[in-house]
Amino acid sequence: MIFERILIFALFIAGFAAIVGIKNIIKKVFGLNLINAATVLLFILEGSRIGDQAPILADSVESMVDPVPQALMLTAIVIGVCVTALSLALAVRLYKATGSLDIEVITKRLQGEH
Amino acid sequence: MNILILSLILALGIYALLCKDLLHSIIALSALSMLSALLFTMLRAPDVAITEAAVGAGVTTIIFVWAIRHTQRREEDS
Amino acid sequence: MKYINTAKQIIAILLVCLVVGVVIISEHSWPEGARDYLFAHAFEDTGATNTVSAIYLGYRAMDTLGETLVLLVAITGTMAILVNLGKDTIEEEAVHFCLPPEKRAKNALRTHLLEVVSSKLGPIVLLFGFYVMLYGHISPGGGFQGGVIVASSIVFLALGTETKSKLTNTVVLSRIEAIAFLALVLASISGVFFETGFFGNPIKPETDLSANFIILLNIIIGLKVGTSIATMCIAMMGGRHDL
Repeated sequence: MIFERILIFALFIAGFAAIVGIKNIIKKVFGLNLINAATVLLFILEGSRIGDQAPILADSVESMVDPVPQALMLTAIVIGVCVTALSLALAVRLYKATGSLDIEVITKRLQGEH
Repeated sequence: MNILILSLILALGIYALLCKDLLHSIIALSALSMLSALLFTMLRAPDVAITEAAVGAGVTTIIFVWAIRHTQRREEDS
Repeated sequence: MKYINTAKQIIAILLVCLVVGVVIISEHSWPEGARDYLFAHAFEDTGATNTVSAIYLGYRAMDTLGETLVLLVAITGTMAILVNLGKDTIEEEAVHFCLPPEKRAKNALRTHLLEVVSSKLGPIVLLFGFYVMLYGHISPGGGFQGGVIVASSIVFLALGTETKSKLTNTVVLSRIEAIAFLALVLASISGVFFETGFFGNPIKPETDLSANFIILLNIIIGLKVGTSIATMCIAMMGGRHDL
């Protein structure tokens, strides 16, 4: 059980290291997506420990899985898509304005125009 | 079984971050979403599985492909 | 000078490790109170047997309203940046997906296979999307899932056929989205007039019709999400020639 949590933790740290360390802005958006995926995996994994059947009420269900984290994660996935769409639109706009996808080149060119 | 799928997900994630060709990274991200959807089905969460499969392997991939089509496909070597 | 930058990055990653690591090594067991209460009372309170739908459309419907607002704002912002991106060059415009074949460039990768498969699969996926949307209260599915599947099917139809139909016209889709959002706001206020509070079920519980409010909300949310994502995807593929 602890090993699964360590793998999800490693995914989270990989996503964060991508945001901080990699210079290409499209890869930074990849990092945001990985952080989102790690969080959703952690919640669903933890919520599934207290039961063994899907949370649909029928006649033969005795112990179902916790439905509250699943409802929260539906919202989280949709908001992740929204953030990805808007940040990629901004990245393309930056490319059209400065001609590069590297964050240090973009900073230099934007400061050089002032 | 959970550990196997989670380690595949981690490997695909790290490959997506270190690859120089951005189209390969996008395909790795789409495969990561599909494996996540499979894991959610095994963890008894069908609503989340349908949402992750439709959103991750559909909409996100289209948006990323549009983004690299209007910019560059290969990462610059610096 | 460049080592300072690397040191800052490593400090940032270590701090995040500290914060998230506490969650990883905690030994507290997951509480079971919510699951027991929902197992006993979800069907009487909302009329739905899918407990996840009962949570986000019955007990916590205001979260769904907030999420729909976030989706609206994000897609509007993306479309605003998309439309003003500047003219494409001649080579880029010649490979747009929604051009008729005589105006397309010779090396555009659009084969007969793509057109046959996606235009034949499109209506089937659309039907499946409406099924997932309408049966959200008794089987896995619901408004968001059905909406995203409907959006995918509209993208299939836009990629596949060469004739312009009303379903892939962005003006028609934008109008459906606006009407759906207005209907969502009206449905959320209607509970106030029937004495069940904001976003309450206006139909009395314990009757045969009390699940109809959830079905109505599913249809409205599905139409809104589906048409807005479809508009954004068609505009990304270059099919928007009016604004």
